[in-house]
Amino acid sequence: MNSQAFDRLIKALLDGDQSVAVAEAVDLRNAGVDNEQIIIGGIETAMGKLEAKCTVEQFNLLEIMLAGRAVTGVIKALYPDGPPPATRETVALASLEGDVHDLGKNIVKTVLLAKGYRVVDCGKDCPLETLIDKAEREGARTICISGLITSIMPLVRQVLPMLQIRGLTGIKVLAGGAALKQASANSLNVHYVADSVFDCVRYLEESTGQAPVQSQ
Amino acid sequence: MNSLQRIQAAIHFEQTDRVPVIPQVFAHAAVLVGKTLGAYIRDGETLAQCQLKAIAHYGYDAVFALMDAGLETEAVGSRLLYRNDIYPCVERYALDNIRDLDGLVVPDPNLSGRMPELLKAANILRRELRNEVLIVGCVLGPMTLAMQLMGPEKALFLAADEPDLFGRVLDFATDVAISFGLAQIEAGVHTPFVFDPSASPAVVPPQFFREFLLSRLKRLFSALKSGGSLSNWLHIAGPAETIFPYYPEAGVEIANFDYCVNPMRARKLLPETCLNGNIKPLSFVEATTGDISAECAGLLAQLAPGRGYILSSGCEIPPEAKPENVAAMVSASRAKE
Repeated sequence: MNSQAFDRLIKALLDGDQSVAVAEAVDLRNAGVDNEQIIIGGIETAMGKLEAKCTVEQFNLLEIMLAGRAVTGVIKALYPDGPPPATRETVALASLEGDVHDLGKNIVKTVLLAKGYRVVDCGKDCPLETLIDKAEREGARTICISGLITSIMPLVRQVLPMLQIRGLTGIKVLAGGAALKQASANSLNVHYVADSVFDCVRYLEESTGQAPVQSQ
Repeated sequence: MNSLQRIQAAIHFEQTDRVPVIPQVFAHAAVLVGKTLGAYIRDGETLAQCQLKAIAHYGYDAVFALMDAGLETEAVGSRLLYRNDIYPCVERYALDNIRDLDGLVVPDPNLSGRMPELLKAANILRRELRNEVLIVGCVLGPMTLAMQLMGPEKALFLAADEPDLFGRVLDFATDVAISFGLAQIEAGVHTPFVFDPSASPAVVPPQFFREFLLSRLKRLFSALKSGGSLSNWLHIAGPAETIFPYYPEAGVEIANFDYCVNPMRARKLLPETCLNGNIKPLSFVEATTGDISAECAGLLAQLAPGRGYILSSGCEIPPEAKPENVAAMVSASRAKE
């Protein structure tokens, strides 16, 4: 019975149907399933399926946003007093100074939260110093930069040297977004350029796990 | 054959003396002549003079009376944040609250925001270039303007949650585009470029395009054509192959395609539509002239023999592009003369 209920929850999440997803998650909990199981069997499975779908078919922001909203709704319903503790590393996320577009950044945030990462959102139009200060203070292991305009590229190239000056050599730097993904990791002076939000997640999982990261 | 004749021939798949070349030079024209981007997008006279100097410098086939993606939403009532060296962004959306939809009024292009400045630029460009060169205007497509009126996240959630209501936002956006596009034609542009990057399959699925956007684009292009537009030119960014089959029904006559689209795939999907594209915009900043020349040669080899092709970038050439790279693209089109 739980298996069918999980299937319904996963379907609702993939459909981006927040109210049905929340109702299914609450039903599962009322049936005695604990929150952690609902997250692993429901949310993480749905995100995996969404990732697989976006790899095979056309990736589109609308679908990801709707699924992300449904995930957020389920987490809020399961943890009304605040989100559960993150199970994975801390990621600092920003659109850099001069770039005021944050749709891409917000989608990355939603997906990372759903995957269990702790996200420090440094916002849009974020000065480099602020991003690095926050990354250091919050113990981020990765900085993700989303960029929709090419004019921020000189700033992106400064991130690694600034981290090195501060002795923060263990922090990985990722770039993505419509403008930045046109460039190579070498030309941006970052560790990786992600083609999509799921490519970003793959890199994070591989770079912090056992599997080696494929070079671009 | 002058530039305008060359482009008209390309649109109709007729023989041309060489392949027309239209780098999408917008604010790069300001950088080229030493003006700030801030001045360029606020003052029609400055914009026109920069465009005139840029075409004199490069020798390509079209100029653009085009400011930025905030122009229409500002005219409707959004507040923009301006800076000198980057395009403005929306600080407060005119349709922050959907309940204000009924109160929105289609702006008068002769009175609202910077629209009169853009019309002034169009007027100057036409007066100076007459019918020698294609004078291109620009209107935001319905999806992009809807997102500029509401903010992208609100717009997309509304589209999913209350599709009928979102349809009304799209209808309003289409009305704005028609009104502004017709005013541009009246002011001297030959064709208003319809810029709708947010209609990309990277943003919304193809079914959404079919159900929500196709009819609005059709209405927009039909109105522009009736108003005297030389051709219906559409730009949708990103991997747009899945929506190309809808372009003929929308009335598209020139399809700008982005760098991530395979040129021959675009030709196969749009056999009777003039194509323009698709050098990666960033290449104009980062690549060498040799890279640009080689890429252009590749495109010309694939698409020039079948006619109906305009050599171009896949989207706007970044303002900070290297001038020698833009020049390399123009030279590549002349290598076939």
